[in-house]
Amino acid sequence: MSKILVCYKWVLDEQDIRVNAADASLDSSRAKYKISDYDKNAIEEAVLLQEGQGATVDAVTFGGDAVKQSLKDLLSRGPDKVFYIADPSADKADGYVTAGVIAAAARKTGPYDLIICGEGSADSYNQQVAPRLAANLGLPSITYVQSLKLEGGRVVATRKLGDCTEVVTVEGPAVVSVVPEINKPRIPSLKQVLAAAKKPAEEIKIADLGLSPKQLTAKTVSLTVKGFVMNRKNILFKEPAQADNVAKLVAALAKEGVC
Amino acid sequence: MSADEKFDAIIIGAGPAGAACAYVLAREGKSVLMVERGVTAGSKNVTGGRLYTYAMEMVEPGLYKRAPLQRKVVREQIMMLGTKSAVTVDYADFEFGEDVPQSYTVLRAPFDEWFAAEAEAKGAMVATGILVDELLEENGKIVGIKAGEDEMYADVVIAADGVNSLIGQKTGLRSDITPHLVGVGVKEIIELPDDVIAARFNLSGDEGAARLALGCTEGTSGGMFFYTNKGSVSLGIVFNPEQAAKRGKKIQEILQDLKMHPAIAPLIEGGTTAEYGAHLVPEVGLSGMPKKLYRDGLVMVGDAAGFGINTGVIIRGIDLAIVSGLAAANAVIEADGAAAVGPLYEKQLEKLSLMPSMRLFAGWHNILEMPRMFSEYPALANDAMRFMFTVDGKVPARMDKAMLQIVRRHVTFGQLLADGWRGYRAL
Amino acid sequence: MPGILIFSENNAIALELVTAGLGLKATMNHSLCAVALSEPDAAALAAAGADKVFLLNGQDWPEGCAQPIAELAARELAAVILIGGTARGKDIAAKVACGLDAGLVTEAQTIEIAEDKLQTTRLKYGGLAVACEATGLPAVVTIAPRTFDKAVAGDGQGQVIALDAAAGDPRVKVSDLCPIERHGVDIASAARVVCVGRGLAKQEDLALAEDLAKALSAEIGCTRGIAEDYHWLPVERYIGISGQNIKSELYLSLGVSGQVQHVAGIRDAKVIVAVDTNEKAPIFAAADYGIVGDLYEVAPLITAALKK
Ligand SMILES: Cc1cc2nc3c(=O)[nH]c(=O)nc-3n(C[C@H](O)[C@H](O)[C@H](O)COP(=O)(O)OP(=O)(O)OC[C@H]3O[C@@H](n4cnc5c(N)ncnc54)[C@H](O)[C@@H]3O)c2cc1C
Ligand SMILES: Cc1cc2nc3c(=O)[nH]c(=O)nc-3n(C[C@H](O)[C@H](O)[C@H](O)COP(=O)(O)OP(=O)(O)OC[C@H]3O[C@@H](n4cnc5c(N)ncnc54)[C@H](O)[C@@H]3O)c2cc1C
Ligand SMILES: Nc1ncnc2c1ncn2[C@@H]1O[C@H](COP(=O)(O)O)[C@@H](O)[C@H]1O
Repeated sequence: MSKILVCYKWVLDEQDIRVNAADASLDSSRAKYKISDYDKNAIEEAVLLQEGQGATVDAVTFGGDAVKQSLKDLLSRGPDKVFYIADPSADKADGYVTAGVIAAAARKTGPYDLIICGEGSADSYNQQVAPRLAANLGLPSITYVQSLKLEGGRVVATRKLGDCTEVVTVEGPAVVSVVPEINKPRIPSLKQVLAAAKKPAEEIKIADLGLSPKQLTAKTVSLTVKGFVMNRKNILFKEPAQADNVAKLVAALAKEGVC
Repeated sequence: MSADEKFDAIIIGAGPAGAACAYVLAREGKSVLMVERGVTAGSKNVTGGRLYTYAMEMVEPGLYKRAPLQRKVVREQIMMLGTKSAVTVDYADFEFGEDVPQSYTVLRAPFDEWFAAEAEAKGAMVATGILVDELLEENGKIVGIKAGEDEMYADVVIAADGVNSLIGQKTGLRSDITPHLVGVGVKEIIELPDDVIAARFNLSGDEGAARLALGCTEGTSGGMFFYTNKGSVSLGIVFNPEQAAKRGKKIQEILQDLKMHPAIAPLIEGGTTAEYGAHLVPEVGLSGMPKKLYRDGLVMVGDAAGFGINTGVIIRGIDLAIVSGLAAANAVIEADGAAAVGPLYEKQLEKLSLMPSMRLFAGWHNILEMPRMFSEYPALANDAMRFMFTVDGKVPARMDKAMLQIVRRHVTFGQLLADGWRGYRAL
Repeated sequence: MPGILIFSENNAIALELVTAGLGLKATMNHSLCAVALSEPDAAALAAAGADKVFLLNGQDWPEGCAQPIAELAARELAAVILIGGTARGKDIAAKVACGLDAGLVTEAQTIEIAEDKLQTTRLKYGGLAVACEATGLPAVVTIAPRTFDKAVAGDGQGQVIALDAAAGDPRVKVSDLCPIERHGVDIASAARVVCVGRGLAKQEDLALAEDLAKALSAEIGCTRGIAEDYHWLPVERYIGISGQNIKSELYLSLGVSGQVQHVAGIRDAKVIVAVDTNEKAPIFAAADYGIVGDLYEVAPLITAALKK
């Protein structure tokens, strides 16, 4: 039976992050976490393969202490088991460190016939962990996959590139990243939610991965993060009759020289 | 049916009623499943709000101290609004804080999530993001629930699904809600720095103020509430949707007008609206409750059962929800056999003083039904104040005559008598 | 300080990278190298100002260039490797970064060298924020198409050096290359855009937006859901962080809530107009002019007013 690993990131929901107008600083004190949106597609694809041909699906995530909150949500979406690496150093991790940590974890828990990632994480959207992971593990990568098949030991994927599609066939294991259109993630059912409570979640300590301090030091460090402040006119036309609002709008646009 | 699919109790809804019930049942070793449609408990819920802590003490002494509560209410304020004026009564009782504080302001999203997590920690299964669509019935007895394709069984199902209880309707215990049985509440959470809140409401430390206002809904039955939280204030109105519809004003417009009132605007100036929500409230108290609160295999708790008290200056619902959840849990624990749960639940409601309170406040709704409570009388109070405090160098009218005139301007003696009689009877 | 290496499998983008690379060269004072996949491309890059162009032969799958580029970068001691931010480019960049054991910054909007590090800015949280980051050298950076202007052909005398690439990965086979058909003009360069969101109830109602677009001489754009979930418009019509960036003089939205991922794509529009029933929709905070109302009522009124 094939063994699949799916990688997901537990990210702050950007809808809850506020930008302070005064100094453009970010306030995430009220922000909740979520499974990174595109990773839901990765999870769904793994589960579709599991249902279609009886694969086992492991999931892995690397994050701060908060990742523990994600386990139930993740398991209710179908994977059989989840490995989590909860370490405060994740806050400073870049694609280099993240891919290194996940690769080390996958070596411990694998081998896998297929590793699935999302197109990019919802917070940093680096789109690099999947190809880096492949390189770390010495496997071929297939990025931006819009349809995926496992045929025996072979991975067959259609990639969606800017101006074309192509089919990539890999003999043996591969790492893929999937685009959102590949499937529609399901909403977990009551039984799936209940079943999740009984599935195994195993912590892997970062210290047990055998990584050197250098491998755990980010190549890219964040200097500042500032909210994007949009300075626009914000004029709302609020007459009771829409015809009057439209007249005012068209007059304004004419004045701007755009109609 | 496998053992996995059968629980001692299934609770529908993870509001305060459901969570209190799940907490107690799980603590006492029962197998409990609580199902909530919101992505997280509390994510869909709207409340004023304030929580009277006695209810939490009944569930477990000291429990409220762990809860994510906002500020302890030491200032009770009542406002009567005129068009451009306001009479405010400020009752500060600093002894409230001594042993068990009477009430705290509360935000439902963190509170409900916390309470559900507490129940989970005690061993309850909590499934969020799941809507219960149907009840399972066998030989006239409720035996479980259905959510999507999935069926789950239990000795007892507890309907804690709130004011618009679909479950209550499905069992036939409740009819579809009618506009005169419920109020509509809309509210905003407006963020303000704590030092600004403290200064504007004369508070220090974790002290809070609760303010209710009459005269803000343009004669529609209802009132405004205003609570101070940590880093925000909650501002909203509760009113009768039937009467509001007749006046042709949109809910948002009434709230918007209120925010512009010269006595309100400075309190929220500079704040940013972080959240907006609308919700129904069981309004009529005892007479709005279903005739029966249980069937074989099912009991109703909290708003689903119609537990709500609105005296015009006090809105209670969360505490009653918690106590009724506790009552149901106690009944399930005491009962041998599902059939015994319902009658024991009714006994518990008496024992925990919930039904006696509902009866005591049974008539208040009739007072609040009087439209004059919300327009003429607040206006009258404001005119009286204006007269008393006006010094303009002219010879003032005689107090008694002037007051009489003011009263006459707003109401007839017949109305006054009628309202007085109604009020007296209601109590 | 060692130099700069640029690559894109799309030579129009490679020429944009030349502009970015020349900017860096001014501070780094070292040569600007490029990798090209065909002779004409190599010549164009040399003419536009690349000091050395390596012409890579023998790779028919661009992704296969990752390893030779990494080797070349190591040999030439490239400190900054700029790669065009296409889907293929981002894949290649990650592998080059791995080969060099280097950091990678995806879709940088600005790049400069400061204190011996590469300092970049890029969007975070779906466009909500801008992060300024520093990456130690060597560093790999991808740059989205159209971030820089194309370098113009000049009298560059850059050398072209042929290079034989190693064979591709024997485990990988690529087949069925199939171009995606494009319809209509490129929304990213449209002068005016009418954008529809999920406020539109059904596909037929697109006619309403088309009428308005005609009256404005505008192109139709949309939010991601309209393209990816409903398939009412082709995917290259959706605007936002994962779709197109528009730079039009006018953007007018109908039933678009204005979530940050969408708004990230309209920030460069000169005038932003929003029509939405929900006064609290975030699009109004991003707009110059707004009408709170039903698009089914308002859009035809605007069309009629414009026709007058
Ligand atoms: C504007 C306003 C102000 C108020 N102010 C106060 C106040 O200051 N103090 C006070 O004590 N009370 C106040 N109340 C009343 C108080 O909010 C309610 O009485 C209390 O929330 C009732 O709790 P409950 O658990 O019964 O129901 P709810 O809190 O309504 O919880 C019901 C839960 O069930 C879930 N649910 C519903 N149907 C299903 C289903 N089919 N399947 C799964 N889950 C379902 C819902 O999502 C919800 O989480 C106010 C109410 C309003 C609207
Ligand atoms: C990682 C990530 C990347 C993303 N990238 C993109 C991207 O590049 N581009 C993008 O667009 N989205 C993107 N999204 C999705 C984005 O978050 C929003 O979900 C999406 O933009 C919402 O589209 P919408 O405004 O059409 O729909 P909705 O948010 O559903 O808004 C519909 C609006 O229509 C209004 N409305 C309803 N009826 C009417 C009517 N009759 N008249 C007028 N108004 C009406 C409603 O009030 C509402 O404001 C991304 C999301 C993620 C997580
Ligand atoms: N911290 C993480 N833990 C697990 N998987 C991750 C993590 N970060 C990124 N990934 C995976 O890599 C993909 C690309 O992420 P990124 O390169 O950050 O855009 C994501 O969609 C995930 O599948």
